[in-house]
Amino acid sequence: MQKDITKWIGRQFGPYTFVVERGKIREFALAIGDDNPIYTDREQAVSAGFPDIPVPPTFATVIDMWGGPDFFQLVEQLQLNLLKVLHGEQEYEYLADIHPGDEITARTEVVDAQVKQGASGGMNLLTLETRYQNQRGETVLIGRSKIVERF
Amino acid sequence: MEPIKRWAAGDELPAIVKQPVTHTQLVRYAGASGDFNPIHTVVSVAQQAGLGDVIAHGMLIMGFAGQAICTWFPRKDLRRFKVRFAAMTRPGEQIVVSGKVVERITVGGEPRLLCNVAASNQDGETKLKGEFEVAWRERAE
Repeated sequence: MQKDITKWIGRQFGPYTFVVERGKIREFALAIGDDNPIYTDREQAVSAGFPDIPVPPTFATVIDMWGGPDFFQLVEQLQLNLLKVLHGEQEYEYLADIHPGDEITARTEVVDAQVKQGASGGMNLLTLETRYQNQRGETVLIGRSKIVERF
Repeated sequence: MEPIKRWAAGDELPAIVKQPVTHTQLVRYAGASGDFNPIHTVVSVAQQAGLGDVIAHGMLIMGFAGQAICTWFPRKDLRRFKVRFAAMTRPGEQIVVSGKVVERITVGGEPRLLCNVAASNQDGETKLKGEFEVAWRERAE
């Protein structure tokens, strides 16, 4: 069904806050099967140039899902059909490191909305940008998700 | 860190082969990530949704790609990472992550390498494709 999704541009979610814990980083790396020792062994992290263990490249999903509106809440608030929604694209820009003890505050905004017609039907495309700041006010990470709703 | 200086445009990055995805891994990833959408963990819900069996979280497969990147280059040097999800992954599939150096670029005065990354299953079906940038310092010989 065709609907006006451009009305969501500028819609904001958050801010929400998540405290990064050593155990959560380890749990996340193990779930992926990522055996890079820098995520579990502080000495290895220090050898790799960090002051403490860093987070894996996709860790922001933990901050989003545990700290903020989860996928269901986003879908509901954007009035999307859960059964027709796909995660189309994901991008991260890494500006500074994230370590255990950091308190990350995230703010999400709908920055783009497009309707596309393809051979197999139409798609609503929403781009959500999330900016992650640490407790010192530094923006450490920017995430961009493209959410696809088929119709 | 040393091998970095040998990379050049067109170079293939050594593929990493993951263990086959299991239902248990999806439960574990759900808990770790906080993504409890039951189409990833509950077979009956996935069947009701017309999927037949549960499907892996796309972000898990992106996580595999992230793991590969940080075997190719230091985690500290990763600056940007983007993927487009292409196909669903199911338990039993084995994911291979491959990559290729595209070109040298400069972003905000910082020399970087732009590379491609892709994840496919054992039959060559592409699960995701993307690109990433790492800081790349030319070292003196």
